Amino acid sequence: MEITVLESGSATIVAIRGSIDGLTAGALSDALAEQVRNGRSRIVADFGAVEYISSAGLRALLGALKDARHQGGDLRLAAIRADVQRVLDLSGFTSILKSYLDADAAVGSFGA
Amino acid sequence: MPDEAASFSRPGTLENLPAFIDFVGEACRRAGADPSSCLALRLAVEEVCVNLMRHGYAGREPGPIEMDVRAEPRRLVVTITDFAPPFFPESAPAPDLSSGWKERPLGGLGWHLVKTAVDQVRYESGASTGNRLTLVKNIEPKHKEEPHGNHGPRIGLGDDRRDPRKH
Repeated sequence: MEITVLESGSATIVAIRGSIDGLTAGALSDALAEQVRNGRSRIVADFGAVEYISSAGLRALLGALKDARHQGGDLRLAAIRADVQRVLDLSGFTSILKSYLDADAAVGSFGA
Repeated sequence: MPDEAASFSRPGTLENLPAFIDFVGEACRRAGADPSSCLALRLAVEEVCVNLMRHGYAGREPGPIEMDVRAEPRRLVVTITDFAPPFFPESAPAPDLSSGWKERPLGGLGWHLVKTAVDQVRYESGASTGNRLTLVKNIEPKHKEEPHGNHGPRIGLGDDRRDPRKH
């Protein structure tokens, strides 16, 4: 898994590539937590290149979502592939996470 | 095509997770399974292995995880044997998938995903033979023609044909 962080106005895009599994989810948690710790709690996780997610990855997302919302921000997902979307659906994450077709739309959803 | 079987064993530690994933992925490819079914089987295998690595063998010298994959016509049968204290999947509480984000606990989704990702789950435990979990995944050959037109992408997870009670 590779993570690239890019600031976009008031939001931060965390672009993830590869698999978010039991071995890599910890690194994603750390990367997202660092953004919140630095006061950048409007986070877009760009899932365009995420091919796989397991419950360890879901745990990382939920932890970051809670952290971000407690700080007045949010974690929003973008460009989710079909198989990953299915795991999110089956896990009941669709009802608590906002997702968008692409990263630009997700960034725009935060407003100015 | 005759059934094909392969076996693999490693200590139940997290650094061996990729080796188990690769083993199952290779068996999936050899069987000609569609990518979505392969991803679903990978998910189930990872959840089982990580559960053993983080919980089953926690606080003790990690024992082995033995994995067998048998390719049968139109399905893959994965048998995972461990020597941790018995764990009964049916005793795992079902997660509340409708609670709000504040109430939603971190974790508790692993077995839910296992049961959803594959078509059958069987579990047997024995003091001398270890615990044996069998996962059965129905597979679709790649490039299968749709008899009634294109119904969009097939997702191998949570197929409506699944019946976990059917052995």
